Order: sequence, then C-alpha cells, then structure tokens
Amino acid sequence: MTLFLRRLWQQRDYFRRFEAQGRLIAAAGALLTLVGCFTPWALFAGFPGKVSLAGSPTGSRAYCLALLVFVVFMFRPRPGGNAAGEAASFGIVAISLITVFTIASQGGGLVNVAYGAWLTVVGGLLLFVAFASQERDTEVPMLPLGSRGVQLVAVVAAISLTLVLVVEGLSIEAGSQFLMFLAGIGFFLYAASRLGLTNWLQRASERQRAITVTAALACALVFPFAMDGNNYWLRVAATVGLFAATVVGLNIVVGLAGLLDLGYVAFFGVGAYVGASLSGSPSSNIGWNPPFLVAMVVGAIAAALLGVIIGAPTLRLRGDYLAIVTLGFGEIFRIAMNNLDGEAGPDITNGPNGIPGVPNLAIGDLNFGETRHVFGFDLGYFVNYFYAELILIALVMLVFVRLNNSRIGRAWVAIREDETAAAAMGVNTVRLKLLAFAIGAFLAGAAGTLNAHLTTQVSPDSYRFDESILLLAAVVLGGMGTIGGAILGSTAIQVIPEKLRFFDEQRILFFGLALVIMMRFRPEGIVANKRRQREFHEEGGADATSTPPGAPVEPMSGENR
Amino acid sequence: MSTFAQQLVNGVVIGSLYGLIALGYTMVYGIIQLINFAHGEIFMIGAFGGLAVHIYVLPDGTPALVGLVVVLLAAMATSVATALIVERFAYRPLRNAPRLAPLITAIGVSLFLQEFVRLYYFGGGAKSDRAFPQFIGGDPIRIGGVQFDRVSVFIVVIAIVLMVALSAFVRNSKTGKAMQATAQDRDTAQLMGINTDRIIIVAFVLGAALAGVAGVMQGMQAGVIGFRMGFLAGIKAFTAAVLGGIGNIAGAVLGGFVLGMAETMAVAYIPGLFGGGAWKDVWAFILLIVILVFRPQGLLGERVVNRA
Repeated sequence: MTLFLRRLWQQRDYFRRFEAQGRLIAAAGALLTLVGCFTPWALFAGFPGKVSLAGSPTGSRAYCLALLVFVVFMFRPRPGGNAAGEAASFGIVAISLITVFTIASQGGGLVNVAYGAWLTVVGGLLLFVAFASQERDTEVPMLPLGSRGVQLVAVVAAISLTLVLVVEGLSIEAGSQFLMFLAGIGFFLYAASRLGLTNWLQRASERQRAITVTAALACALVFPFAMDGNNYWLRVAATVGLFAATVVGLNIVVGLAGLLDLGYVAFFGVGAYVGASLSGSPSSNIGWNPPFLVAMVVGAIAAALLGVIIGAPTLRLRGDYLAIVTLGFGEIFRIAMNNLDGEAGPDITNGPNGIPGVPNLAIGDLNFGETRHVFGFDLGYFVNYFYAELILIALVMLVFVRLNNSRIGRAWVAIREDETAAAAMGVNTVRLKLLAFAIGAFLAGAAGTLNAHLTTQVSPDSYRFDESILLLAAVVLGGMGTIGGAILGSTAIQVIPEKLRFFDEQRILFFGLALVIMMRFRPEGIVANKRRQREFHEEGGADATSTPPGAPVEPMSGENR
Repeated sequence: MSTFAQQLVNGVVIGSLYGLIALGYTMVYGIIQLINFAHGEIFMIGAFGGLAVHIYVLPDGTPALVGLVVVLLAAMATSVATALIVERFAYRPLRNAPRLAPLITAIGVSLFLQEFVRLYYFGGGAKSDRAFPQFIGGDPIRIGGVQFDRVSVFIVVIAIVLMVALSAFVRNSKTGKAMQATAQDRDTAQLMGINTDRIIIVAFVLGAALAGVAGVMQGMQAGVIGFRMGFLAGIKAFTAAVLGGIGNIAGAVLGGFVLGMAETMAVAYIPGLFGGGAWKDVWAFILLIVILVFRPQGLLGERVVNRA
C-alpha cells in the first residue's frame, strides 16, 4: 500500500492531461470528501476515534476534514497553491487509505469498512488528480514579512497551536490513531512549506525573537495545567525535559563544534552519581550533604574535569579518535560504577545496586516532593521537577545561543568545516575543541545531578551505551546545531515509543535505521541550521563529476530497501 | 613463572582474535579513513550465520572437521554478504560527504545489525546467548605446567595462517598493490587506472571474511554467542588497530597481540583493589588513551595527526 502511494506521488504528472476538467474534478472531490468525513467509516464499534458513528467527525475523519479545509483554501490560484493542494489532498488519500486498511485488518476483512471511508478515499483521489492536473510551481514563494503586528500575532498563534496540538496528540490513546495524527500534521506542514508559510514563520520568529521565546516559555509554563491532572504524561514530560536539556548540551558538542561524543551519557552519569552521593541518601558513602545547588556545581565540575582528562589527549588527533575514545570512556564509566562496590574496588558506588533512596529536592522551603494545588489543579510532584527543568533548559539554551553567536562559535564552525584551514587562520583548534567538549560535559553533569533526584536512585545500568545513542539520535534527527531541533528530536524520541507500545521492542532498530536514512537524505536534520545545511550539501554536486572513468556510474538508489 | 607463561599463552589466543578483527578496521580505515563501527557487528553476524548453518543445514552425524569447515565458510559468507550490503547502501552514497555523516551512519548500521539479530534471528530472535557447537574437543595439552586448550591452538594457528596469507596478498598480488596505492592517495590511484570503488569493496570483503572466521573462533572459545558480542570485541579490535598504527596491516596484528597480553597480564599482575578480571576492560581502554597521548601514530604507524 505504501508502494501504491509512493507510485501515485511519483507518477502524478500523468494527470496533467485532465487540465481542462480540473475545476469540475476538484468540486466533485471536495464534495465527496466532505460527505465522507461525516459518515461512518467502520461497521463495528470500538475502533479508535469512534469512526463508526455518523455525524461529528473524530479521529482520522477529523484529520481528513482539517486537510480538506486547507485544500479548499487552495482552490483560489496563488503562488505555490497547486503544489500545496496536491500535498494536502495526497495526505487525505494516505490517511483515509491507511485507516481503511487498519479497519480491515482489525475487523477481519474489507467488509467492515463502511461507505464513508471509501467516499473519502475517492474524494481525496479526485482532489489530488485535480491539483496534479494543473501547472505546479517548482519554487517556493518568498512571502513578504509584513508588519510587525502580523508577525507577532502569527508567531504567538503558531506557538499556541503547537501547545494545543501537543495536548491533543498526547490525549490520543490508540497507537494507530496517533500515527494518523502525526501523518496529518506532517502533510499539513509539507503543504504549508510549499506555500512558503513555514519559511515565513521561521523568518518572522527570528525577527521577533523576544516574543517567540516569551510565548514558548509561557506555553511550557501552561502545559501542566493544559494537561489537567494527567499525571502519566506529566511524568513523561518531566523525563523529556531532562532529556532535552541534555540533548541541547550534546548539541553544543556535536552540532556546533562537530565533535562526535559517543559517551555523553557517562558525563550525565558522573553528575547523577555525584548528585546522589551528596544528596544525603542513606545509601550514600559520602557524609557531606551540601545544598542542591552546590551539589549541582560539584557534579558539573566533576564531569567537566573528566571531560578534559579524556579530551586533552584525544582532541589533538583527528575527530574519529574522539568517537572511539568517548565510546570507551562510556564503557569504563559503567564498568567502574559496577565495580566500585568494596569487593572489586573501593566502596563508593555500591556496585550494581547503585544508590537508591535519593530524597526529593528541597531548595530552601521549597520541597519538590509535595503535590501542589494551584488554581484548583492538582499538580503531582514531578511538575515541580518539570519547572526546575525549564529553568535548566533555559540556562543551557542561553549558553548555546550566546556561544553560537560569539567569536568562539564562529571558530567552532571553522574547525568543523576544515580544521587545517581554521588552524592556518590562527584558530587555536585544540583549545577550542577542548572547550566545547568540557562545556558539553559540564552541562551534562549539571543535568545529571537533577536526574538523580527525579528518578530517586542511580545505578550503573541507567548509563549504558544505548542511552548515549538515544541522545545522539535526538540531536541528529532533530537537527544538528539548532535548539528547536534538539527539543523536537528529544520529544520525538521519548514520546513516540511511549505512544506506540508495539514499537517499543523495535525502538533501537528503528533509531539505527533512522540514523542511516537521515544521513543519506537529510543529514542536517528535521529543523535545519542554515549554515549546517549548506555545509552538508555543498560537496555532493561538485564531486559528482569526479567519478573515475573506469568506475561504473550507478544511480544512487539506496532507499529501495 | 608458570603463571606468567600461562597468561602469555592466554594473551596470544585473545590477541589473535583481536588481530583478526582489527585487520578489517585497519584496511577500511587505511583506504577511506572511515572507522567502520559496524565491523564488530559483521564479526557477530558471521558467528550467527555459522550457527544457523550448523543447526539448520548440517545433518546430525556430520564429522566434526567437515562441520567446522562448513561453518567457517558459512560464517565468512554471511559476514561478506552483510558487509557488501552495508557498503553499497550505507557507505557508498556518502563517499564525499563531510566526515561526521559516515561515522553516524556507521553507528546506525551497527545498532541496526545488533537489533536485527536480537529480534529476528531464526527461532524467535537471539535475545539471550546461544550455545555454539564445539568442534574440537579433547583434553588440553600440558607442557611444563602451561596448559594449551586444543581450541586455542587451533585459533592461533588459523589466525596466523590467515594473517600471513593476507599480508602476502596485499604485498604481492596486483589487487593488493592497487589497495596500497589507493590507501596512499585515492585520487592519484584513480588517475593510474585503478578502479578505486572496486578496491574499497575488496577491502570490505577481506575484512569481513576475517571477521567471520574470528566470529566462529570466538564462539568455539566461549561456547556461546550473543548479539552484543560484537560491541566490546569491536572496540577492543579498534584499540588494537590504533595501538599498532591504524592503516598498517602488520600493526593491526601486533596491536592485537599486545592488547591481548596487556589484558591477561593486568588480570594476573595488577595487585589490590583495581586488579582482577572485573577491571581488565578498563585497563585496555586506559592503554588506548595512553598510546594516543604518547604515540598517536601507533607502534608501527606513520604520522597520522592531521592527515586528511
């Protein structure tokens, strides 16, 4: 079926022959889709999204309807409109068709698919044919920025919409419906990008940075209230928050300075162990129990020191060595934590048992372990941690942005692109790489100390190589060198497996595959850093001509797996 | 003295395994400057391929020696096939990409292969270790207080034969000379009429075949194989390659032996709390870091700093 959809999309120029009948087809398609969205899709009850009921559209029907509304707006000619309409109507086809198949496979045959679903499929196909029959703009139009007021409203609206969508998405219980929800958003975003809307929004948010940051922060603050007592997802949010803070830190190392750190979780673990040891836990082997902020700084400094010790010898060499040495360091850390148990080594970490019973945070009179009642909402204790993480993320982001726009940040870019040239230009490459590495370790250590309190225990197996890979996958998938990418990537990596339980087992398998595919087709990540994007794409074109005369010139078709 | 001799023997056995795997790293790195992180998984998948043939293809009463040869060939075939697919679909499209990209791809491939074996190996995946057939039985040979397992003797002999054969191939055959030329300067080698794409494939194939053999040997020595076995073995072998001087074939072998001996000696002779088997991996990595500080080009390597 995916093959059919793919074929359909690739061969869409075939429909150019219906150019004259375009309007008629479009009107028929819109009507059919509209009717389809309000009629039942399944003949049995219990399918996610209540699609068996007539009347108000829910689940997949709602996503199709939303795309239909967008498509109708594209009926008036506008730059990029046909390409956008095409993408959105393709989305209707894809979502309805996949839903049909899911209904059929869950209900035991195509007989269980009601007429509404078929109407939507046909309607979507007609819409798609209608748009594909018209001439398509190949270029994305560059929309004028417009007045400041428009920009402000648009940015705030977009961020609020994101919050609404996140809350809506999290409340979906069925995995299949969640996938359709993601697909709907994906098609919508692609269609909007063909209109030049996403590009415009990006430029507007850059222009109005203060407002963007404030609005995003406000949304994050409101989020626990918007989730209204759904403790499960707030708990997940607390995990995501800490993960995101760590990923932004790793993004400094990998995304800005271009150093591949495969043992980042070990620095996080150093912070966590220091945090747990200094927390006053009954199992801790260290008597000192300073206030949390002191412990945080100690943990961060310990991690940074280790970073310097590991980095100093290896950063003088080619980048590849760093990858393997950090990988080794990650293993050393885990083995060492396992063995510092009084039998195979000094008694510091209690070995495989780790340090349990880390008390909840208490800063001054503020006890993080309490449930709070604010404006009639009950907020579980993890909401306290969520807010603490927001502060941490904000700090890490500040470090990220300030470094990125500084002399140091530009030097990192120079090193990343060509180390020899950078050195020739007078950049002290070793010292700057070491700085990036140490800052990354410092931030990971700080996040780790907070993590010890959030999870109330530390043990060696929480800091395995897999975790480093998840962190790296978040950076790479989201976008190297961007904050938005880091946050999007970490949310995706933490939330999608939570949502799609059936996918839990194959999680690492898919992330491995995703890394390969991403490097092949979009190495700059979902949210691309402009400079980085150019860097990744500059060589492909220039070098394509230098294929050796004897070598067979083969089409690159690595995606056909 | 007898402890020392015994540990020396153990070191040589482990070292010859490391050396065999390290050869794959060193050849690929020498030619395209890529740390093939997936090489450890190629080693692992070879062992699993051999095991599959042993279980599903070979009839029960097969003589041990025939079984061993068939399993070895099957392991090599599995490893080589995997390496070819990986090279073709993951690495080749990135030949001219910035260096970070193939490195991340290699990690992705490595994860994918591990998980693939874990989830989809014959018989419901290989989630826990699988027993590996023992082809060579019999009592250990004792010479003056030093014990030689028959399996170990076999491992060392085969490893040395393969290493000698490989080095003769690289030094004397036409393809081998082309490999050397490509490693020295890919562009010039192309201008001299060498099909460098083919040479790169040859490097992957040779490395994978050796890794497949090493996989079977590891299985015979440990008695079990698991989907994670490639991870640590891969890092160790890479350490061995760096130790000897990456890109240098004799260096990889030497590095393997040195690393193997360093590990076994650390187990026996480091006193006090940080000694013993629990810390041997840590000592191996510390050795890597120390080597990188004092002799980054490795024991036999040329200067590698800033060679790009």
